[in-house]
Amino acid sequence: MIKKMFVLAACLMAVGQMGAQQLTGRDVIQKVKDRPDGDTRYGELELTLIKKNGNTRQRKVTSWAMDEGKDTKKMMFFTYPGDVKGTGFLTWDYDQIGKEDAKWLYMPAMKKTRRISGSSSKTDYFMGTDFTYDDMGQRHVDEDTHKLLREETKNGHKCWVVESVPVDKHEIYSRKVSWIRQDCLIADHVEYYDKLDKLHRVLSTHDIKNIQGFWTILKMEMKNVQTEHCTVIEVKNTQYDLKIDKTLFTVAKLEKGL
Amino acid sequence: MRSVIVLALLLCTIPRPVVAQDEDAVRFGIKGFVDTYHALRTERPNDWMSSRTRVRGEFSVEKGHCGAFVSANLAYNAILKERSGFQLREAYAYYSNNHWDVRAGRQIITWGVADALRLTDIISPMDYTEFLAQDYDDIRIPVNGLRLRYSREKWSLEAVAIPVNSFYDLPTDSKNPWSIGSVSIGAEPAFKICNMEYGGRLSFFLSGIDFSFSALHTWNKQPVICNGVGEYRRMTMLGADMSVPIGKFVVRGEVAESLDEAQSASVCQEVPRSASTNALLGIDWYVGNDWTLSAQYMHKYVAWGEHRNSGLATLRIAKDLLHNTLSLQTFAYIDVTNGGLFNRFSIDYALNDQLHAIVGHDLFHADAGMFSVYKKNSELFLKFKYSF
Repeated sequence: MIKKMFVLAACLMAVGQMGAQQLTGRDVIQKVKDRPDGDTRYGELELTLIKKNGNTRQRKVTSWAMDEGKDTKKMMFFTYPGDVKGTGFLTWDYDQIGKEDAKWLYMPAMKKTRRISGSSSKTDYFMGTDFTYDDMGQRHVDEDTHKLLREETKNGHKCWVVESVPVDKHEIYSRKVSWIRQDCLIADHVEYYDKLDKLHRVLSTHDIKNIQGFWTILKMEMKNVQTEHCTVIEVKNTQYDLKIDKTLFTVAKLEKGL
Repeated sequence: MRSVIVLALLLCTIPRPVVAQDEDAVRFGIKGFVDTYHALRTERPNDWMSSRTRVRGEFSVEKGHCGAFVSANLAYNAILKERSGFQLREAYAYYSNNHWDVRAGRQIITWGVADALRLTDIISPMDYTEFLAQDYDDIRIPVNGLRLRYSREKWSLEAVAIPVNSFYDLPTDSKNPWSIGSVSIGAEPAFKICNMEYGGRLSFFLSGIDFSFSALHTWNKQPVICNGVGEYRRMTMLGADMSVPIGKFVVRGEVAESLDEAQSASVCQEVPRSASTNALLGIDWYVGNDWTLSAQYMHKYVAWGEHRNSGLATLRIAKDLLHNTLSLQTFAYIDVTNGGLFNRFSIDYALNDQLHAIVGHDLFHADAGMFSVYKKNSELFLKFKYSF
């Protein structure tokens, strides 16, 4: 834990020093990606989908993650609503560009696990929410080109404003502009623009807390400003550096369930 | 049921590793659904094909590494009265730690990578009471047996032993709209140790491919007809399967060689036996924008008789709309050999988090082959499902 705190302090000091140096957009985004988040993580997510007319639907997910070098393994189970309860996703996310992630889906009603495509779903929306699978996971820094536009204060926080343009032109957004908080290296506000360069979605983060020495987003909201559909994700019972056996991230455990 | 509880208690006495989550807490789980399904024939005499309502309960209890799971239906069937009442589906006890997973009792066991087709996936038989016009997960019949699995990060080894055999449930009652006619079924194999089914599967899960090898000494669970009587015989299946993700596609393949498989014959002194080779190639296309396409082709070659080759294909197209509130799906079985077709098209609308309304149409088109007996069974169906 002391080591983690040291890393965090060193990181924040480095951030402070960078203001005086030639900081690039890529540097900022790399810092965000490298923000310490423990070797293992656990969280319970409540996803609330809010329609334009105010009607809401909800999904609940329990998730574990473990870093293995630069790669990350994740296990996720739906706990609500009843028709998808027990459905599980196992993902092995590879950091290497071009190496396809490995993904499995377990369907409890069918008692069957399916290997699913590791690349296609990244730009799809996650379970009907306004977040894509890419938004929910870790995007490689070099999948976009980044430009530091300016520094400004947003919602009372000193931020770097970075524009990111996808290298792959098949991405669902043409560019995104992120306001990265300098104190905790978390995006306070992100604007996604569609192919016609019209504002499409807006992400805002709230309730950022330091848990076990790690900055953690406890609530975030993604709003599609074109359809006025909105998704709020609340993260509960977040834990870092739990003792998790790596056998949790196997197909056998996926089929065993929660 | 009592034996499951006893087994659960016995499994709890097995020493457990030190590292575990909430070891001392007893955890209970309950989920299930209430659904009501009604189908009307679209051809004359436009009668009701199905009318059933049921409650499904799934209960689990777990302490440390061991537990028990029970799944059962309480059903009312207005067409098939004998199908009303309490139906136990699964009831098993289990022990599971980081590497071992043992399940003993009544359970559904699935193998293979094929979607709604059976090559290596022949342990749990099928309930054809309403042919394929049920949800596929309802069609599987649990088996009474023991499943032992040892798993590591990238592979697992599974062994199964099934002392009490289960067989296909065929619609032979003339009152059933899905009846295949009156067929006399011979005696099922007796409950003897020598009649036990057993086998194993070795599976690998790697970053670019999944594959497995399987072997099963079993029975032809769908009876073959010999001199007008349904018969069961021993057979051995040797199989392999693989899934390879390639960009937006996943290619699936499966082969199964059934040795000494019983074959149907109109006139015979002994039930004919012959090897059969089954091979499947499938492709899933994750198009994006909530579209999914999947196609499969399965070929069967029997080294005996006049009709040695047969082919069956499937096609699935699915699309989610309105933030997954509305799901459209069409799934077709295509009898390539005889030019027959069975297609189920459905529209699933989520009225809220718990309640779904589903409407759809089952289309049969065949003059010969496996679907021809149902060529007048095309139907419209309506279903409501409340999950909890």
